[in-house]
Amino acid sequence: MTIFRLTCLLLALLPWCAHAADGRLFVNDKKAPENRKDLEAIQAALVKALPQVRAATVCIEIGEGSGSGVIVSADGLILTAAHVSGGVKKAVTVILEDGTRLKAETLGLVSDTDAAMMRITEKGTYPFVEIDRTNSTRLGDWVFALGHAGGFDKARGSVVRLGRLVRIANSTYQSDCILIGGDSGGPLFDLSGKLVGIHSRVGQQVQSNMHVPMSEFVKNWDNLVKGEFVGEGPFAQKAAKGTGFLGLATESRPEGGLRVTKIGKDSPALQAGVQEGDVLLKLNGTALAKRAQLQDLLKEMAAGDEITLDLERNGKPQTLTFNLSER
Amino acid sequence: MNANWIHLLAGCALVTSLSAQQSLESDYRTTGAAVTAVFESQRAVLQTSSALMLDGRKEAGYGVIISPQGHILTKASEFLEWKKPSVTVDRTNYPSVRLLAVDSEWDVALVKIEAEGLVPVAYAPDSSVPQGTWVAANGASTRTNRRLLAGIVSAKTREILASGGAVLGVVLNAKTKTLEIDQVNEKSGAKDAGLRKGDLILTIAGKAVAKIEDVVEALKDHKAGSFVKLTFRRGTEELSADVRLTARSELFTDQMNRNDQMSGDFSKRRSGFPRALQHDILSNSKTVGGPLLDLDGRCLGMNIARANRAESFAIPVEDLKALAEKLMKQAAK
Repeated sequence: MTIFRLTCLLLALLPWCAHAADGRLFVNDKKAPENRKDLEAIQAALVKALPQVRAATVCIEIGEGSGSGVIVSADGLILTAAHVSGGVKKAVTVILEDGTRLKAETLGLVSDTDAAMMRITEKGTYPFVEIDRTNSTRLGDWVFALGHAGGFDKARGSVVRLGRLVRIANSTYQSDCILIGGDSGGPLFDLSGKLVGIHSRVGQQVQSNMHVPMSEFVKNWDNLVKGEFVGEGPFAQKAAKGTGFLGLATESRPEGGLRVTKIGKDSPALQAGVQEGDVLLKLNGTALAKRAQLQDLLKEMAAGDEITLDLERNGKPQTLTFNLSER
Repeated sequence: MNANWIHLLAGCALVTSLSAQQSLESDYRTTGAAVTAVFESQRAVLQTSSALMLDGRKEAGYGVIISPQGHILTKASEFLEWKKPSVTVDRTNYPSVRLLAVDSEWDVALVKIEAEGLVPVAYAPDSSVPQGTWVAANGASTRTNRRLLAGIVSAKTREILASGGAVLGVVLNAKTKTLEIDQVNEKSGAKDAGLRKGDLILTIAGKAVAKIEDVVEALKDHKAGSFVKLTFRRGTEELSADVRLTARSELFTDQMNRNDQMSGDFSKRRSGFPRALQHDILSNSKTVGGPLLDLDGRCLGMNIARANRAESFAIPVEDLKALAEKLMKQAAK
């Protein structure tokens, strides 16, 4: 620890070294900017970082609402807030800065710290930002927020706000970058353009703006990718039993199993590849003989739950695994 | 822009969960004294070239000083509401303020105080600076000192459309489904132009209108603050009037959305500007009207509205210069 501190001190003493080894801007190590050069250093770093991070910042339309998020991988993983995604395996629309609309789905979330992940489901290579995985941001560091404040507005673009990290707690950063509705789930960056937080909530004072630190995402990364609902709230509530939607109609066969007679438009069953005429044999391992059985099983399940269907198509067995959606 | 956004959760229960925490002293926060101290040369410009507009003894707004003889630009819709306006420049109070001209599209008034040897703002060459560029503006003042708050250019410079569209400010008779006026909004241009209940609208901007859709179509491309020629029938007479258009949301302000509620104090007139530069300086409706400065202390624009807690608008310097010239000419007539 002592050696680490010394290194920092030494780096701070080298005036010609604009960035420390980890890309840290020298102004961050001053209690306050002291002169015009310091201000210009902040401005130059911000102006340089903006184009790339702006391209990766998205508006998220979900149901009737809109929030923000940020792409963190070339294949379209998005980080956002749990209270924006609201649940796992839900269909959402993502809007890029240039107005391009893309289909996406919600993955996992951490309901007690407000972290969530989504994925763009359309194939492509997307602009993305780098995550601060090392927790390198310190109290007083200059940071900036992006987000689609008040909803998507192409003529305006996402709105940038500059501030400092004014409070650090275990699962929360507070900054004085002023947030407003629509910013939820949007990114907070350090001056090198690394993602350090996700906008979560505001306090009663204009300067109290809370963000979920990257450490919360890194810690739960595998659960998020797998689409798991972690924690007991308050930022998202687990779907209640009986909300799971499969989206097909069946008739029972005398010889056992249920024949699919109809499949709903946009239903999870259709998306998973169930076809009319398929015969459902088992749901999560339970043999299906009567329609009421299927209904009873579904009553115990919730939107987002994963199911495994064993079925027979043209005499051949098949197994499909997918998630129920919200009705 | 009509989409509902997902609300940021607000509440102290969540804030207090930040127990074992490190906290930055308020002096070192973005609006803190230790940070704004580095902008002292810009603050000195505000001290002499911004006008503190008072209504009685209260701070009511700011202005941009544009001549040594005391010509000042300020926010028109606010100025017109003040009962006892006076102006403080540096440490001197000027008790008499004359209104010379108004541009209602930009919501700017040219006023004059009896002064000599004032220091007008120096205009920046143009406003097309990149987003992320430092800007500074008036924060709340003391009697003798102008304070400064800093921020950055935060979005694309663009037209701010009239929120809810540009309207006459009348309610039409729903029963007869004609263009007979049933109510005239008290704050509307229709009221100022003398329109009354019972008047039947015949033409707007030269186009014959018969139903509500025609009115919407006729006003579609008009801006808030601009005037349209209206002909109407009152009894047996056919009359005409020039009616100033107003953003619908300005006339019907009772419907605040969640973002307005959490924004606290915002400008009453905050939409319908031909062009605006957006910044993130923490202002309130009482700190609007003064100059927006760059790091050289030059005037990059004039603060014209605090739209909400995260967004403030300024008239870009090119437009401001042209507007100042126009209003000065108008005043000289």
